[in-house]
Amino acid sequence: MDTTRACGPLPGAFCTYKELPIGSTSIGVHADVIRTGLWRLLRPVIKLKKSPCSEGCPAGVDIRGVLALMRKGLFEEACSLYLKENPFPALCGRVCFHPCEGTCNLKEWDGAVAINALERFLADFAPLQQPHYPPHGGRAAVVGSGPAGLSCAYFLRLLGHSVTVFESRQVVGGLLRTGIPSYRLPKEIVDQEVTKLQGLGVEFRPGHTVTVDTWSELEPFDAVFLALGSGKNRDLPLAGLESSEIVPALEFLEAVNLGRRVNLGRSVAVIGGGNAAIDAARTALRLGSRATVIYRRSREEMPAFSSEVTDALEEGVEILYLASPVRITKGGPGQRIECIKNRLGEPDKDGRRLPSPIEGTDFAIEADSVIVAVGELPDLTALPQVLRTNGPYLPVDEFGSTHHPGVFAGGDITDQPHTVAHAIGSGKKAALAIDYFLRGRQSGGREAAPGMRNRPGVSFRGYTEGKLAEEGESVVTFSGLNPAYFTHTEPSMRPKLPVEARSGFAEVYGNLSPEGALEQASRCVSCGQCCQCNNCAVFCPDASVHSEKASPFERIDYQYCKGCGICENECPVGAIDMEREE
Amino acid sequence: MPGEEFFKGGHTLCPGCPGGILWRLITKVMGPNSITTMGSTCISLPPAVFPSVLDLPSISLSMASPAALISGVSAALKVLRRKGRRPGNERTNVFCVAGDGGTADIGFAGLSGAAERNDDGVYFCFDNEAYMNTGIQRSSLTPEGTWTTSTLQGKLQPKKDVPMIMAAHGIPYVATASIGFPDDFIRKAEKARDMAGGFRYIHVHSPCPTGWRFPENQMVEIARLAVECGMWRLYEVENGVWRITHDPEPRRPVAEYLSRQGRFHHLSPEERLHIQAVVDRACGIRDGKGEEHYTKIKK
Amino acid sequence: MKQKEPLRMMLTGNYAAAYGAKLARVEAIPVYPITPQTTVMEKLIELISKGELDAEYLPMESEHSVMAAAIAAEATGARVFTASSSQGIAYMHENLFGASGLRLPIVMAMANRSLSPPISIYPDHSDSLAQRDTGWIQYYVENAQEIIDTVIQAYRVAEHENVLLPVAVCYEGLIISHFLEPVELPPQSAVDAFLPRYQPKHVVLDPENVMHVNVTVNDEYLMEYRYQQQEAMENARVVIRDVDEEYAATFGRSYGGLLDPYRIDDAEVAILSMGSNAGLARRAVDELREQGLLLGSIKLRVFRPFPGEELRQATRNLKLLIILERAVSLGSGGILHAEVAGRFYSHSTRPVLANYVVGLGGRTFSLSDLKALTLKTVAEMKSGTVDGATRWIGVRGLA
Repeated sequence: MDTTRACGPLPGAFCTYKELPIGSTSIGVHADVIRTGLWRLLRPVIKLKKSPCSEGCPAGVDIRGVLALMRKGLFEEACSLYLKENPFPALCGRVCFHPCEGTCNLKEWDGAVAINALERFLADFAPLQQPHYPPHGGRAAVVGSGPAGLSCAYFLRLLGHSVTVFESRQVVGGLLRTGIPSYRLPKEIVDQEVTKLQGLGVEFRPGHTVTVDTWSELEPFDAVFLALGSGKNRDLPLAGLESSEIVPALEFLEAVNLGRRVNLGRSVAVIGGGNAAIDAARTALRLGSRATVIYRRSREEMPAFSSEVTDALEEGVEILYLASPVRITKGGPGQRIECIKNRLGEPDKDGRRLPSPIEGTDFAIEADSVIVAVGELPDLTALPQVLRTNGPYLPVDEFGSTHHPGVFAGGDITDQPHTVAHAIGSGKKAALAIDYFLRGRQSGGREAAPGMRNRPGVSFRGYTEGKLAEEGESVVTFSGLNPAYFTHTEPSMRPKLPVEARSGFAEVYGNLSPEGALEQASRCVSCGQCCQCNNCAVFCPDASVHSEKASPFERIDYQYCKGCGICENECPVGAIDMEREE
Repeated sequence: MPGEEFFKGGHTLCPGCPGGILWRLITKVMGPNSITTMGSTCISLPPAVFPSVLDLPSISLSMASPAALISGVSAALKVLRRKGRRPGNERTNVFCVAGDGGTADIGFAGLSGAAERNDDGVYFCFDNEAYMNTGIQRSSLTPEGTWTTSTLQGKLQPKKDVPMIMAAHGIPYVATASIGFPDDFIRKAEKARDMAGGFRYIHVHSPCPTGWRFPENQMVEIARLAVECGMWRLYEVENGVWRITHDPEPRRPVAEYLSRQGRFHHLSPEERLHIQAVVDRACGIRDGKGEEHYTKIKK
Repeated sequence: MKQKEPLRMMLTGNYAAAYGAKLARVEAIPVYPITPQTTVMEKLIELISKGELDAEYLPMESEHSVMAAAIAAEATGARVFTASSSQGIAYMHENLFGASGLRLPIVMAMANRSLSPPISIYPDHSDSLAQRDTGWIQYYVENAQEIIDTVIQAYRVAEHENVLLPVAVCYEGLIISHFLEPVELPPQSAVDAFLPRYQPKHVVLDPENVMHVNVTVNDEYLMEYRYQQQEAMENARVVIRDVDEEYAATFGRSYGGLLDPYRIDDAEVAILSMGSNAGLARRAVDELREQGLLLGSIKLRVFRPFPGEELRQATRNLKLLIILERAVSLGSGGILHAEVAGRFYSHSTRPVLANYVVGLGGRTFSLSDLKALTLKTVAEMKSGTVDGATRWIGVRGLA
C-alpha cells in the first residue's frame, strides 16, 4: 500500500481544478496534518509504581517481583529474587505477621494473596549457590544470633565481608530457637537456616557472651552489629507477687523449646495479650493444661497476630477480655488471681484505648500456674556505658548506626516493632550501612547510601544494582486498580491441621502444593506494574498506544493522544497516571 | 490482534470516542484485503476528510445508502472475478460501518433489502443511540426516556430492536456487541468475516461521552455497565441458532447506569423504576426463553 | 450455448435498450421495476438466465438503492447499466448527483413518464428534465433503433477519459418504450471493437491501491470539483459528436451528434423539439413545405450538455424558432425555451422564439395540431405578436 503518495484536497493547499484528481477521491493516508496531541489538557503517563505489599514489607522483599516469577512457574528464579532481600523464606513463611497480606489490594476484592504461604512454598526452591561479592577484607562482628543478627551476617557475607556471630547461649537462633513454639516454627528449620549461613562462610561462636567486661574481644573487628534482642521480661505491678510463683513467659517458652521438663499443673492463667501470651497459652494446652488468657483490653487491641488468636481459640484457649489482675494469692492447691473488669476509654499515646476498672466487678480465677507475658525489654546493662542512654532501647539512626562510629544495632534491642520481619529488615539495613562504612565513604551511614531509602524495608538490589530508580512516588491502592478485569477465584489454601490433631507440637500449617502455589501466585495482579494486558492499546481511540514497544514506558505516542484518559481508567494495575499538560 | 493499525491517530473524533476503537478493531479483523462502505455518521469523517486516517479503500454516498453500497461492491467483485479481471480465489472482505440513524431510520429500507437479498458483506452498526453528528437528536435507537435535543423531556418510545429484526431476516449471522467487551466483539467479527458469504450483521453498542453526558475517560466503563445491568444484551444468532455470549451474573441495577449519564438526569424515580421493570422483562424473555422468543418471530 | 445473433429483430424500445446493454457487455445491473421501464429489466433478466449476458443482476428494494448500488459497482470497476422512470428517477435524485460527482460512467435508460400527482403512467419529459442539474449527460432519442445505437454510443462517451460522466438515454414511455419496431442489431464483435471494456484509473475500489471515494471538503474545494464536472460536460460536446461519427462509419447509422437538423438550410422557420415530437416535426416540415412554408426542424438529441453554440449555428438564418416542450418549469415556463433564450440572448442575430408546452402526461398532440400551431405562430410573427411567453396547448378552458 502506497502511503507516500498522498493526494487529495488538503486544507490550505489551494490547488487548481486541473491539479485536483477527479472523482472526489483522496488517495493515500495520513499525511500528519492534524496534530490532535495539541488538544490535550492532561497526558497519560505509564509508570512503574509501588505495590503496597512490597512497600510495607519490613524486610524489603520485592514481593511483586517474586510473585510475577512464581506466576510463570519459575519457582527457582522467584526464590533467588527473594533471597536477594530476605535470607529466610522458610522462617518468614511460618512466623511472619505478613503485613503484606494486610495491605494487599485484593483484600478488597476476594481476599489477599496468600503471600505468606507462597513464601514458605518457595523455601524449598533455594538454589544451591548464592552469589556473593568477592572478599573485601572487612571483618564484622555480630553479637546475637536472633533473626536480626543472622540477617546482618547473611548480607554482610553477600557483600564480601567476613562475619563472626557471637551467641551467649549454646544454641543459635535467638527467639527463633527459644521463643517461638515449634508448632509454629520447627527447630529443624532454624538449624537448616543456620547451616545455610555456615555454608556461606559465617563463623558462629555459641556459648560466647559479650559483655561490658569482654568488650575488648570486639576490638579486632572493623565493625560491630549489636542484636542482643529484648530478653528481659517487663514487670507486672501486681499485689502479692512476692509470695507467689509466677513464670515469665520467655522463660517458660525457652524451657519448653529446649526440651526441659515443665510442670504447669492442670490449669494455667496467662496474663497479657501479645504473641508471647498466646504462644504460652497454646504451649500450655499442648502440655496438657487448660489455659486461660487474661487481657485488659478487647480483641481489637490485642497486639498478638490475629490468626494466632483465632488458632488459639480454636484449640480451646479461653480468653477473658477487658479483665485486669489486681492481686495474686495462694488459694487452694494453686494460685488465686483476683481480677476486675475494665471499660475502654480514650486512646493512649499508642492509639489504643485506655482500660479503666469498673467498680464492683471483681471476680477471681484459680489456676495452678500463672504465666506473665506483658512485654519484653532489652537488657542494656551488658553494653558499655558509652552506648547506653536513659531510655529502654539502644538508640540508632535510620540505618542502624549508633552514635559510636563502627557500632551498629538492630532487632528488638532497638526501638522498632518486635517482629521477625522487622528484625531481618534492620539486620539488612545495618549490613548495608556497615558496608558503606567499611568502604570508607562516610562514617556511620548518616548520609543515605545510593539505593537505600528510608522506609520499612530497604532494598539490597537497590543498593548493589541501583535497580529501583524507576519507581515513582506513589503506592497503588485498590481505588487505583480496575477490578473489572479481575476474576473471582476460589484458590486452594495451605492445609491446616484440624484441631483434634493438634495435641502435640507438630506444625499446625502445612505447605501449598505446586498447583496451589501457582493458583495463589496467579491471583496477584501486579499492582503498579504494567502486566502487558494491552487494555491501553486496545482501548485507545487514537491508536496512540503502541503495544509492540519493548518498554511499556515508551508506549504512548503523544503526537495524537488527546488525553481522554480511557487508558488510565482501564489499566487494571494502576500503572498509568493522568498528569497536567505543561 | 495484529499490531498493524489500519485506522490511525490524527483524526478529529471527540476524545474518548468509541468509534475510534471500533474502526481500529474492525479493520484489524477484516485486514488489508478489504473494502469498506460507510453511511453518514460521526465516524465516517476520519476516512473521508483528507488526509484520511483509514488505510483501506472506502466509499460513502448518501446517508441512506450504506447497505446498498455493499450490494454494489460485492456484486461487482463477483462479476469481475468471473470474468478474470480480479483473481478468482481472492477473498476481499466487504464491510460497512454505519450509525444508528443510517441503520434503523433513513437507511432501514436499504438495510432490510440487502439483508433480504443476503448480499455478501458484514454490516457493522455503530450505535451511539442518537444522531450525534448533527448535535444529539433522537433516532429510533435512542432508548426510552433519553434526553436529546429533539426529546427534551425524554423520548417516549422504546429503542427499536434492530438486531432481532435482522435475525428475522434469516441471514446467516446476527450479533450484538459492545465496545466494553472487545474480546467478545473481535470473536464475533472474526466469525462473521470467516463465513462463506451472505449478509452478516453486527450491532455495536457505543457510548458517546459527548452525547450521553459523562466524562470521556469512563467510556469503556459505561459500555460494560450497560451490559452488566441488562440494558444491552450480548448475543449472537448463527444460522438461526440463538446464543447469549455474556450473561452478567448477578445483573447490576439499572439505576447505576442511569445515574452516571447526564442524558438521564431528568428522569423521575418512577421513570427509573419503569426502566428497571422493562429491562427485567426483556431479560426475562431472553434468559432461557430466547430460543422460544426468537422462534416465535420466525414463524 | 451461442446462438447466431439475428441481425434484425422486432423490438420494443425497452427491449432495444436491454439489447443495447447486452451488446455493451454490461456487468452489473441494479434495478427496480416501475412502469413503463419494467420490460427493460425483464428482458435483461431473461438474457442473463439464458446465458446470453454475463452480468450480476441486483433486484434492489428501491431506486434510491439502485443508484447507490450502481455507484458502488461502477466504483469497484464493473460496467453498470440500469433503467428507471418517473417517481423512480425522482427517488434516486440525491444519488444521481453522486454518480456525476464521483465521475462514474453509468448508463441509465430513462423511459420517460410524468411525475405525480396526479398519478399518471403516460409520458412526458418532466422526470428526466427535473434531473437536468445533476450532472448527467442526457440523450433524447426517438425510436428503438436509435435507443440500441445510443446505449452503445453512451458507454463510449461516458467512459471517455475526457468525460467520465454518467449518461441517461431518455425516450418516452409507452409510445416508444412499448412500441414494436424492426431493429437492426450491430454484431457483437463489432461492438466489442467499438467499445473496449471499462478500465478506470480515476476511481477504483481496490485493496492494492487505497482510495477514499467521496471526500469531505471545506469551502476551499467544492468549486474546483464542480468545475471539473462542468469541463467534462464541455468536453462531452465534442466527444458525443465524434463518437456518433465513428459509430456511423462503423455501423452505418448516424444521428447527427448533438442535434439533428432537417431541411434547415433554406428554412425561415424551424421547430425545435426532443423525442417523439421530432418525428412529428419532420412530417409537419414535409407537409407544410408543400404549402410553400420554408419550414425546417431540429431534433435536440442531447439536452445535457446543452449544445447552445451548435443550436445557434443551426438557427442563424432563421426568423422564427418554434420550441416544443414536453415539460415545464412551474413558476417559470418552458425548460428548453429558457435554455435556448439564455444562449441566444447576447447575440445580435437571433430568431424570434415561440414556446409551446404540449403533451404533458401523454396528452395527444397530433400532426394536424402541430401544423395548425406552426401556421398560427408564423402568422403571429408576421404581425409582430409573438412575445416568447410559454403557451400551454390543449388545456381545456385555456384559450
